[in-house]
Amino acid sequence: MSVLAAETPQAEDPTGFFGVLAHAAEWFIGLFQAGADNFVGLLVGIIPLLIVLLTAVNALVRAIGIERIERFGAMAARPGIQWYPVRYLLLPVLSVFFLTNPMCYTMGRFLPEKYKPAFYDSSVSFVHPILGLFPHANPGELFVYYGIAAGITTLGLGLGDLAVRFLLVGLVVILIRGVVTELITTRLLARNTTRTEGALA
Amino acid sequence: MSTTVENEKATSGGSSVMGKASGVLVRVGKAVGGVVGVLYQAGRDTIDTVIRNIIPFMAFVSVIVGIVNYTGLGNVLANFVAPLASSLIGLLAICVFCAIPVLSPVLGPGAVIAQVVGVLLGTRIGAGDIPPQYALPALFAINPQVGCDFIPVGLALGEAEPETVEAGVPAVLFSRLITGPIAVVIAYFASFGLYSSN
Repeated sequence: MSVLAAETPQAEDPTGFFGVLAHAAEWFIGLFQAGADNFVGLLVGIIPLLIVLLTAVNALVRAIGIERIERFGAMAARPGIQWYPVRYLLLPVLSVFFLTNPMCYTMGRFLPEKYKPAFYDSSVSFVHPILGLFPHANPGELFVYYGIAAGITTLGLGLGDLAVRFLLVGLVVILIRGVVTELITTRLLARNTTRTEGALA
Repeated sequence: MSTTVENEKATSGGSSVMGKASGVLVRVGKAVGGVVGVLYQAGRDTIDTVIRNIIPFMAFVSVIVGIVNYTGLGNVLANFVAPLASSLIGLLAICVFCAIPVLSPVLGPGAVIAQVVGVLLGTRIGAGDIPPQYALPALFAINPQVGCDFIPVGLALGEAEPETVEAGVPAVLFSRLITGPIAVVIAYFASFGLYSSN
């Protein structure tokens, strides 16, 4: 036994045909070992916090109940400029938070037809900015945020600042998207209607 | 367990005080049971999501990251992407490209493209090729196509009429071409002061 142990370090680097094979095998395994190291990093670094956070938020959502959010839907349908933030800010945020992707889009049913595309645009644009603070809303697409956030973690910087700014900018962006898409939808709907009437005449 | 014993005593005793006490105990028991039930179910949902959605994607990402890093492909990509992702103009270019109405529905599904590009950029940020404050605008630059593959389904979930879908699909796609770059610019200005002290 001790003879074997003593001999091992003296073994020469394999050369020739088998040497090439051995190096290829080493390289091949190394390829996946690099991936495995990354995987363990993700499992240890992200999963524990995520599980606890997801459980807490899931419990909160269950405790509050989805029915209560639906009341906002009816309110958001009203015309007038003061309802824009309700329709394209409050309603998307609440539906993404409580109903999560992809069920959040069902809240569109409370709105008149002309607002539905804009509401969809607004809420679908919020399923990623919310991830930094509330990953329960869209766990299947976490890496849009975590991919980039992992780089920040590698540098040893905190993620809180990035997560909050991502959320805030997301809020501004979904409001702009809602308004712009509503304008375009109105124009397209009007054009489609005249075209249909023209075809009928 | 103790609640049950108390209840039995109360019913056998038959006095009103005992009856009231047992009523309170039953209510407390039910409330506690409800809270525990909600938390337990939430935990069950969470583990389900982690196993079904999160860990499979981590495995997928790890394979890609492993290959990219180990083969040196990462360095090649970094030379290509890092200059783009380290300036506002470059980020706008990425964003406009992803928002082109024909491309955006193709790039959308499952946000896979955004996630893979996100991981690549993250690796580069970690390596120091891209300044950390560019993380915020990059998050928007790689993602103007979000949900563009899903518009008809999303609208159907909102019980929209076929006419609405007909107008809604191009409306959202065109809107992205305008609001995508706007989002990047807003995020760029919002990133001032982010990690700058470092």
